Amino acid sequence: MSQNPFQIIRPSDQPPENLKKEVIGNVKRIMLLMRFMQLFMSDFGMAFFENIRLVGRNDNSVHDPKP
Amino acid sequence: MLFKKKAKADSLLSDEELVAELQHSMDADRFGLLYDRYVTKVYQKCIGMTRDKELAHDLTHDIFLKVFVNLSKFDHRSKFGTWVYSITYNYCLDHLRKAQRQRSTQVDDESMTEDIAEDTYESELLNLRSEHIDEVLAAMDPTDRTMLLMKYQEEHSVKEISELLNIGESAVKMRVLRARERALAKYYELYPEER
Repeated sequence: MSQNPFQIIRPSDQPPENLKKEVIGNVKRIMLLMRFMQLFMSDFGMAFFENIRLVGRNDNSVHDPKP
Repeated sequence: MLFKKKAKADSLLSDEELVAELQHSMDADRFGLLYDRYVTKVYQKCIGMTRDKELAHDLTHDIFLKVFVNLSKFDHRSKFGTWVYSITYNYCLDHLRKAQRQRSTQVDDESMTEDIAEDTYESELLNLRSEHIDEVLAAMDPTDRTMLLMKYQEEHSVKEISELLNIGESAVKMRVLRARERALAKYYELYPEER
């Protein structure tokens, strides 16, 4: 009974030891980048809405109904 | 001490529980645990598909970064391992196809008839000499090679391959059938004395 030849040639190589360092190092960089992005985006959004609110504030006198 | 306790507790979590934790808050050490659980299989699949250890190293690196970046998209409907292997196969295939830059052998599989004899050429293929199979696979188109490895090395069912590659089951059957035919043709081309 012959064995499946594809099983016989199955790779048994182990991943290089330095690969984990590379991957986790880059994962940390990506996390840092994502945090910067979040920070920037949230600041950007706040700044954007703050400006709109300021414009609104300036208009307060105009919208203030007087009897 | 506290760190060691946390690491031990994390190592007891299932893959899906770890992923749920990571989806809640990103943590490189926790991701390291998932890496440890899957790296050997992913790396060996990459070697099988590329026949090149250096390339397999680079692809494994990229696949794990892709897994990390896309963790939030994992919806827990399949096993985490299935999701990782799906990324692995598709990423390697994309890379190999781009590198090959030849689309002439691509045929519209879906237009073919669905009724395929499952065992056509199968027993003949499985009786080939293992010392020659490696060379035959190396000389084959990446898609054909992947289909044969998934079916006969990883022993995935047609349904599983269909889920992993996001293609229909009839397309899987057709691709496997064609890959078998081409593998045999290549085998006898390389080793005519075996005919």
